[in-house]
Amino acid sequence: MTTQTTKGILIFAHNNDEIDYFKLATINSYYIKENLGIDNITVVTNQYSYDYTIKLLGKQFVDDAISNIIITEKDKAFKHANRRLYKDTSHTSKVLPFYNVDRCNAYELSPYDETILIDADYIILSNSLNQCWGHENDLMMNYKYQDIMIDRDDPTLQRLSPFGITMYWATVVYFKKSNYAEQFFNTVKHVRDNNQFYQDLYRWPGNLYRNDYSFSVAAHMLGGFVDKAIPQLPIPSLYKTFDTDDIHSSPSKNEIIFYLEKPKSLGDFVLCRWRDLDIHIMNKWAINRIGEEMLNYVTETTATTN
Amino acid sequence: MTSKLTKALEFSNYRQTLNIQHNNLKSKVQTLLTYSINGGSFNIDLPLITFVEMLIKKEYDSVVLLDVYNNPIEITDLKDFLEEILSRYFEATNEYYAEYSKLKQSRKVHKLIDLELDDNTNN
Repeated sequence: MTTQTTKGILIFAHNNDEIDYFKLATINSYYIKENLGIDNITVVTNQYSYDYTIKLLGKQFVDDAISNIIITEKDKAFKHANRRLYKDTSHTSKVLPFYNVDRCNAYELSPYDETILIDADYIILSNSLNQCWGHENDLMMNYKYQDIMIDRDDPTLQRLSPFGITMYWATVVYFKKSNYAEQFFNTVKHVRDNNQFYQDLYRWPGNLYRNDYSFSVAAHMLGGFVDKAIPQLPIPSLYKTFDTDDIHSSPSKNEIIFYLEKPKSLGDFVLCRWRDLDIHIMNKWAINRIGEEMLNYVTETTATTN
Repeated sequence: MTSKLTKALEFSNYRQTLNIQHNNLKSKVQTLLTYSINGGSFNIDLPLITFVEMLIKKEYDSVVLLDVYNNPIEITDLKDFLEEILSRYFEATNEYYAEYSKLKQSRKVHKLIDLELDDNTNN
């Protein structure tokens, strides 16, 4: 007799003063259901974020998208300490709390045998992540990424420091309930809890706690201190934009037209139509601006969004 | 600004947009050419197709192939596998061809990205 394994998507979504991550997670969940055909979607959030977004979108609308909501307590000291610069193109920037401390609890929080952990702003516009299910590898994540404007290159996104280890992106992580994945997430937690020590050792810049760093260090340690030891996802690359880019519109389902900022001419843009490929959108305000438009393609009822 | 320079800048924008759209197409094709089966993942390319075809000609029914991670993956029905990878290969390349042909014929920025605008007022 064979037992059916459960598979699902896990998203962490904690709002801050300006960015409604829970709304992003809701929009994304509708796209996940549509494109991956997965109904098991768990969102980890906090009471404040949940109440705010429920008031905005309606409980039924959120429940139709997300099958399981886990409410956690926010670590207020961390929330106030971990602040980063958010940009809405080069013209507007704000320093806001970046609450990402609980992502390493993904292993315990996930109710599924196989989980794909994604960022709320990694928008699923294709079925390519379905290639992960039932994989031989217990854990996969990418170090290979590609900016959708091919000639923009940011070397700080490739390594933790100029001579440091390769940076893995915690944006999308596939894992199976297994001893290996459990050890991995325990190691991530260990790095998070001893952040200063590992920062001194691995020499990443700044004071911001980033999961990309702690996941990369854990990958290095668990891979026997070998670079690139953890296999990548069965997708060619993680595609991304920058927060200096903007969005023109979403002309149809799975399509977004971007304004991409020219690398050597800040404030000048070229247009780009992005179609049928998942994309990490760094400008969160921009997604929220076209949220309603995007939802129209994947929901029958129109959301009451701002 | 002289009209020559304006035209050069317009052309530069056009070329840049064309490059971006072409690269996006390549990314999409690469994604479509990734195929996972029995816990392994394969890049569908000419060597894989030719190799599987050769195995079938040599009357193999099932084999173990190394996937992109160098994991040994058992393929129990080679003919089915070949059919699947061929179908995916043609789906991807036909789509690439259609989209690429459209790109080649577009001479304005808004046409490259399929935006409905007046040809006389925009590039």
